[in-house]
Amino acid sequence: MSEREAGVAVAEAPIELVVNGETYRLRVQSNWSLQHVLHNELGLTGAKDFCDRGVCGSCAVIMEGRPILSCMTLAIECDGKAIETVEGIAKANHPLIEAYVKHHCMQCGYCTPGFVVTAKALLAKNPDPGEEEVKEALAGNLCRCGTYPQHVKAVLEAANNLRRG
Amino acid sequence: MINMAKETLGDYERLQADGKYRVGADIPAITFSEIGKRGIRRLDGYEKASGKALYTRDVQLPGMLYARVLMSTHAHGRITRIDTSKAEALPGVRAVIRHDDPEVKGRELNGSYFGPEWVTPEAASWGLKPIHLVLGDEAWYEGEPLGVVVAADSEEIADEALRLTDVEWEELPFILDQEEALKPDAYILRPGADNNIVQHPADERGLIEKGDVEEGFREADKVVEFRVKRNAHLWAGAEPPSVVVRWRGDNLEMWVHEQQPYHAKMLISEWLNLPMNKITVHSLYQGGAYGGRGNPANNSENGMNVLAALLARRTGRPVKLLYNRSEYFYGESGDMAVTYFKVGAKSDGTITAVQIRNIFAVYMCAPGIEHFIDNTRIPNLKCEGLAVDVSKGPAWWCRCEQLPNCLCLTLVFDRVAAELGLDPTEVALRNDGCDGHDMTYLSEYKREHGFPDRDSLRECIEAGKKAIAWDKKWHQPGMKRLPNGRMHGIAFTWNHDWDDVRGTGSAAVMFENDGTVSIIGQQSDIGVNPWTAYCQIVADELGVRYEDVNIKPFNLDHGFALMSPDGSCNLCSNANVLRKATKKAKGMLLELAAQKFEGVEADELDIKDSMIYVKAAPEKAKTIKEVVTLAMPSFVSCVFWTEAPVIAWAWHTQGLWGEALETGRPRLCRQAHFIEVEVDTETGEIEVTKVVNVNDVGKAISPETVEGQMYGGTYMGLGRALTEEMVWDEQTGVLLNRNLLNYKYASMLDYGPIETIIKETGMGHGPYGACGIGEATPTMIPALLGPAVYNAIGKWIDEYPITPDRVLEALGKLGE
Repeated sequence: MSEREAGVAVAEAPIELVVNGETYRLRVQSNWSLQHVLHNELGLTGAKDFCDRGVCGSCAVIMEGRPILSCMTLAIECDGKAIETVEGIAKANHPLIEAYVKHHCMQCGYCTPGFVVTAKALLAKNPDPGEEEVKEALAGNLCRCGTYPQHVKAVLEAANNLRRG
Repeated sequence: MINMAKETLGDYERLQADGKYRVGADIPAITFSEIGKRGIRRLDGYEKASGKALYTRDVQLPGMLYARVLMSTHAHGRITRIDTSKAEALPGVRAVIRHDDPEVKGRELNGSYFGPEWVTPEAASWGLKPIHLVLGDEAWYEGEPLGVVVAADSEEIADEALRLTDVEWEELPFILDQEEALKPDAYILRPGADNNIVQHPADERGLIEKGDVEEGFREADKVVEFRVKRNAHLWAGAEPPSVVVRWRGDNLEMWVHEQQPYHAKMLISEWLNLPMNKITVHSLYQGGAYGGRGNPANNSENGMNVLAALLARRTGRPVKLLYNRSEYFYGESGDMAVTYFKVGAKSDGTITAVQIRNIFAVYMCAPGIEHFIDNTRIPNLKCEGLAVDVSKGPAWWCRCEQLPNCLCLTLVFDRVAAELGLDPTEVALRNDGCDGHDMTYLSEYKREHGFPDRDSLRECIEAGKKAIAWDKKWHQPGMKRLPNGRMHGIAFTWNHDWDDVRGTGSAAVMFENDGTVSIIGQQSDIGVNPWTAYCQIVADELGVRYEDVNIKPFNLDHGFALMSPDGSCNLCSNANVLRKATKKAKGMLLELAAQKFEGVEADELDIKDSMIYVKAAPEKAKTIKEVVTLAMPSFVSCVFWTEAPVIAWAWHTQGLWGEALETGRPRLCRQAHFIEVEVDTETGEIEVTKVVNVNDVGKAISPETVEGQMYGGTYMGLGRALTEEMVWDEQTGVLLNRNLLNYKYASMLDYGPIETIIKETGMGHGPYGACGIGEATPTMIPALLGPAVYNAIGKWIDEYPITPDRVLEALGKLGE
């Protein structure tokens, strides 16, 4: 009987994550995705499970400055990493949030946090993006409700507000 | 005087007289401050943008177990042996229920509420699958939930338990194509049946005839016949289904992802024989629905709710049952059909007869000709619709059930225009009307019922033509090669509005003792921003500020349920509910206020900017708080009331069921859609370069929300037209692309600009002259790609979606 059939638990390891500036010490199973850890273990439910295979961007978080797909990332490999989630972006009153509300960038809203995270990573790298750059950056985020045109307006406005301070 | 059909006149007049149902122009009696205004902060906006909005999928309770169901691996088969011993022995597995467990064995999914008398005729048709058990042992399609359900400490352990379950199958023949299933020698899927037809033209909804089509064909200068096939697509909403259930003694508490949670409560009450007053239902934010969370006969609705409740009772712990993305790849759109058309027209574009035979796979959403009745003066119409069983999952409404009607209307009109070499916008105007009558009939109706007499279609067409530069760009088919080598195509279609059909709701309006206003009533949010609109309406009807009104509709326990987000009619129904409740509550408030203003009667008072004032002396004013502060519990040493709470509730029903053309209530608003494409004749690739939607919504209560629906519907519609297709393996009957990588819908980069033009003629039958919008665009856009590609390459594509291989096939280039 294999280990798997005997139901032996998969390996666990302690890791340390710095999420939205706060340090967490956790024991994670080797098969846990980062999305699972954020969503189920830390209660940061903004990272959503939508496509479950890295197609939709709804689970996006920023790790070490880059937007990543947390459903495609094993938590055990994130030891020592700094992670920013949509909750952190909102807590910091990033102008994206109000721009998103103003421009109706959500319908059902399930994918919205993933867009906000991706857009935040874009603005951190490129504070003055053009329309095509915004579209390019957000092209990996799927929205079944089809809110796409509103995102472009919101991101450009938030960029403008950020630059003006 | 307009003739009304005698059979419905009685009900119709009675409902109107009772004030339960309204018809005709609704000229607003109030001043709009919030209604129709841009820039209102949407109620759900911050929660959704900040990641704080909670969905069913996000719910975790202390001690909660995770449950998973086995899905069939065969398109048609029977479980002959199932061995769960290894699964049961797996550490962390807390309960296993098999199909032969006495608690579920032979138990139907939905019991008596399934029937037409309890839900809808359409819901009854959903039960077309021969055996529909809550946990059966026979698979009627690949991916059907059956056999065993497991609850475990984690999702991974539950999945592992399913993998350790040993299942032996007896495989049975399957059929994927509805025309194959119709052949005389076809295998018959249903035991004991004579054939595979499950809905027949002889059924009530299957045969529609007006006038005499043969006479119409004789009058025609041109008769055209063609066949089109529409393949399956599906909802694919963002949030995969889940339910969380816990028992509190013999009380049941559920968190559901459903458009109509009240149905969930009714159905599970009957299934468990549990009184409804012992059931609490929470409906948090809903990650998309599109009809997919609005079907009581889905396994992924009542079926999963029941299984979770049984597991929770066995284990004494809360249970969350989840489907993953691939398991939610069933529930095809109800427009999987092969359609045979025969159309006659005079050379000036006057259509004399339309005959349609629609052969649906699994389920017939709508026979396909109703919009010609609702919407045109064409005198001779005939439609046969039949549904044929195949080995695919149940089909259902998919934003929306009017898809077959929209496809038929678009293709008939654009074919006629093409055959006659006419501008399709002129053909539309030449045939616009209602139930065989021309526009003079509608003008008379409008005058009799107090509507402005505007020509909505003409206005929509003029606005759309201008936006897309139609007069400059429209050309005969296959005539315009662009400098980039591609062929340019442009097309137009039209329809009536999605009116305020079929809604029932109840809600209360209550003054809190700080003077703010609460709307009380459950409503599932699927993203159409209804709550903001409700608050706008109550604010204006009451005379208070928008920010003084709120709604928290996440729970059914208070007893009121607003019309669910279905059928493009939530707002038009619920606005009437709220106006009635507001009127009553305002009356109560002013009666109470009169006691606090000296020597003033209630009718001498009014409210503006959240202040109650004496109409004859506006400087005499009190805040609402000053009036109601004792009408609610107050803190002294204990809670006490000295006055009764100021709260009023109302109920309203709108629309009659089961009529293609609602008698006496013709649709007056129109919509027009224009699309521009470039077709690469070497690769078959289609690029959509521009879309213009013009929707006469009567009155836009929240313009940004209307635009959102027009944008979103366009993306969904383009996906359906071009890339969204469920593909089954012909050898095994297995659905090959049950994921969002291989079932592709629109991303931000896929299509050119979308222009949205809102027309507000005030000619809707809904509140303030409004009508619906949510389903108007995604149903109209898909078929329009056919005429656009035809205009580009001069060839009709006879199968949807219009993929590059189908374009190449039409060009005779396949296999080159």
